[in-house]
Amino acid sequence: MCGGVTASLRRTGGVAGLAVRAALRTKTVAALLVLLAVCVAVLPGVVKGDGTPEGELQILLTYTLGFAFGILCLSTLWAACALFAAEIDNARMQLSAVKPVRAAEFWLGKWLALLCLNALVLAAVYAGVYGQMAWRMRRNGWAEADRPVSRHAAHPVLPTPKEEAREAYEVLRRQDALPKGMSKAAVLKTLEAKADEKYDVINPGEEVRWRFRLKRPVGVKKAEPVTVWIRFDTEFSTREHVTGVCSLSVAGQPERAVKVDLDDFTQNEIEFAVDTRAFTEGTTGTGGLRDFEVAFRHTGNAKRVSALMLRFRKDVELLTPGGTFGANLARAACVQWSVLALLAGFGLTLSACFSLPVAAFVATLLLALTLVGNSVVQAVSEDDEKEWGNRVGIWISRGVSAATRPAMRAEPLTALTRGERLEVDVLGRAALWNVVWLPALFAIAGCWVLRRRELADTD
Amino acid sequence: MAMDTKNVIETRGLKKTFLDFWRRPTVEAVKSLDLTVRQGEVFGLLGPNGSGKSTTIKMLLGLLHPTGGELRVLGARPDDMRAKARIGYLPEVSHLHPFLTPRETLRYYASLFGMTRVEAAKRTEELLAMVDLAQASDRAVGRFSKGMARRVGLAQALVNAPELLVLDEPTSGLDPIGCREVKDLVRILAKTGVTVLMTSHLLADVEDVCDRVAILDGGVLRAEGKIAELLRQPDAVRFLIEGLDDEAAESLRLELEARAGRRVRQDYPAMSLETFFLQVVAKEGRARDFALAPFLARPAAGQREGGTCAEA
Repeated sequence: MCGGVTASLRRTGGVAGLAVRAALRTKTVAALLVLLAVCVAVLPGVVKGDGTPEGELQILLTYTLGFAFGILCLSTLWAACALFAAEIDNARMQLSAVKPVRAAEFWLGKWLALLCLNALVLAAVYAGVYGQMAWRMRRNGWAEADRPVSRHAAHPVLPTPKEEAREAYEVLRRQDALPKGMSKAAVLKTLEAKADEKYDVINPGEEVRWRFRLKRPVGVKKAEPVTVWIRFDTEFSTREHVTGVCSLSVAGQPERAVKVDLDDFTQNEIEFAVDTRAFTEGTTGTGGLRDFEVAFRHTGNAKRVSALMLRFRKDVELLTPGGTFGANLARAACVQWSVLALLAGFGLTLSACFSLPVAAFVATLLLALTLVGNSVVQAVSEDDEKEWGNRVGIWISRGVSAATRPAMRAEPLTALTRGERLEVDVLGRAALWNVVWLPALFAIAGCWVLRRRELADTD
Repeated sequence: MAMDTKNVIETRGLKKTFLDFWRRPTVEAVKSLDLTVRQGEVFGLLGPNGSGKSTTIKMLLGLLHPTGGELRVLGARPDDMRAKARIGYLPEVSHLHPFLTPRETLRYYASLFGMTRVEAAKRTEELLAMVDLAQASDRAVGRFSKGMARRVGLAQALVNAPELLVLDEPTSGLDPIGCREVKDLVRILAKTGVTVLMTSHLLADVEDVCDRVAILDGGVLRAEGKIAELLRQPDAVRFLIEGLDDEAAESLRLELEARAGRRVRQDYPAMSLETFFLQVVAKEGRARDFALAPFLARPAAGQREGGTCAEA
C-alpha cells in the first residue's frame, strides 16, 4: 500500500489536494482574489496616463501587472511560510506525519498546490489585463502602429563587455598604464561599465556597419515580405537634422541590400521590407541563425551638421516579427509563474524550519534584501567599502544579488513594454533555475529539516 | 541489546529529556522505560498528568525523538514507512482540518496510505457508517461537536485497517454511548488480531478493555502486568449466585462462616453506572442505532447483573 511510484504520486496528490482545499476555503485567499480583481479592473482606470496608446500600455503592462505580481509574490511567500509551520504549530501535522508519507512527498505536494493556485490566479490576472487592452484598443481605435507587438530583438554581434574589459585590462597592463591604487576587480568593473557605454561616432560622410545574427521570423508567409525594424534608441539624440542611408543585407551580399533613406532621425524605428528568402534560402549558421549586416551612412553636410553618436551595445537593435502579442503575454506569465514557484519553494523550506512568525519575518526580510541588493551592488564605489560597517552590508548585498541573479535575470514586463519577444532560452533559463534547480535545493534542505525536526508539541 | 521481533512494541531503556532553546535539559519526561506489547493484546498505559504517557506514545510514533535507549514498533524503527503503513493513531485532541467534511477527511488520510480513489471511497463509506456519521458526512468538521469530531478521528485511525492501533484518551469528549461503542470496537479489533495501545484517565475504561496495563509516574514504570493479576486479592474469595432468596443466602453465609472460621460478608452487586445509563436510554428509545451492534459478541466486563455476591 505504501510502496511504488503510483502510491507515492497518490500521497503527493493527496497533500496537494488538501493544500488547495485549504486555500479555497479560507477568507484570506478570497480577500486576495478581490484585491487582485480590483487591481486589474480598477487600477488602469485610476492611474492617469499621458493620453497616448503607449502611455495606456505602460499603465497596463508595467503598473497593473507589476502591482498584481508584487501582491502575488508576498501572498505566495507568506502562504508557503504557513503551510508547514501552521500545521506543526496547531498539531495537525501529527496526524499526517504518522502516516507513511515521506518528507519529500509532503514538500512536493504543498509546492505543487501553490504552483497550481498561482497558475490559475496568474492566468486570470493576465486574461484580465489582455481583456482590458483589447477593450481599450477597440474603444480608442488604436492605429496598427500603436498596437502592442512581439518581436525578436537582436543586438550587434560583439564581444561581451566583460570580455572587452579583460582585453582592455591586459592592454593597460602590458603598457604599464594601470591606474595606481585601484584593485584589479575595481579596474575591471570600471572597464566593463565603460565597454557597455561605448559608442560609435558617425561623422557626416562616414559609414558604420554592425553585424547581427537573426532568427527566422515567426508567423510570416512565404509570398509576403518580412518587416524588419532597426531601432536606434540613443540618449545622444541630436537636435540637428540628420540625414543618412540605412541598409540591411544578408552578410556577404551587400549588393542585395535593402536601403532606406533617412531624413528624420527622431523616429527611432526604421522599417524595412525584406524578402522572405533572405531568411530561408542558402546556408544558415548554428541554431538556425543567419548573419545580417546593417550599415548606416551619414549623408549630412559636414559643415552644417555634427556627428551622430550611438552606443552600439545598447542603442542599436534589429527587430523581426516574433509571433502574436498574446503569446508573448503568456510567456511573460510563465516567467512570473516561475518566480512564484521559486518563492513558494523558499517559503516552504523556511516553514519547515521555523514557526510561522519567524518564517514570515525571515522570508520578507530576504525578499526585501533581494530587491535592494542589486541596486546596492551597482551603486557602491570602492570608497564605500573602506568602512567596516558598510563592508558587511555590501558583502550581504553582493551575496544575495549573486544568489538571486539567475532567478531574476528575465524581466518579462520590460520585454512586454518594449514589444520584445521573450525567447525560448529566457523561458528555459527561468524554468531551469526557478522551477528546477533552486526549488530542488530548497526541497533537499526542507526535507532534511522535516526528517530531523520533532513534529509534536514537547509539553 | 537484541529485541524480540514478535513483539509489536518493545522499548529498552527509553529516555526522553526535553531541552530549551539553548539546548539545556528542562524536563526528564521518560526515564529508562522498558515496555513490551505483544501481538493481539490490548495494552493500557496509565498514569497521572505529566507522567510521560503521551511522550512515550509520540516517541513510538516517531513524532518525538528519544534521547536514549532503544525502540522498535512492528519490528522496525518508528520512522520506517512500512511500519507506519500498519499503524493507526488517534491523538488526545483530534486535530482535524476544520474546513474538510468527514468524507473528505477520510479520503485525504486514505490517500496518504497510497490507496486508489476507488479503495479510498469504499473504505470511507464503510468507516462513516461504522462511526454513524453517514448523515453528517458533508458538513465541515469544524462545526461538529467534540464527540462527533472524535468519531471522525477514530475513523481516520482505522482507515488503513491497522495492525497496531494507538489510542490516546480515546473516550475523551464522548458521551456514555460513544464510550461504550469505542470500548466495544477495541474489543472487536483485538479479537481480529489488532494490537491496541491506549491511554486513558478513566480507569474504568481501561479495566473494561485492557488485557495488560503499565502504570507510569514521573517518567518511570511503576507497575506492569495483567489487570486480573494486578488487582487480585489472594486472601479473599467471592461467590456469585443468581436467583437466591434472602433466607437461603443468610443460611449459606452462616454455613460458610462456620466452615471458614471467620466472618463472611454478603452484598448485592450493582450494575455499572454506564450499563444503567445505556439501559435507561434504550428504554426511552433514544439509543443510537449502533453501527457496531453486529460486532457486539460478549458483554462488557463490568456488566454483572442480577446476582448475590459473597466475599470471604
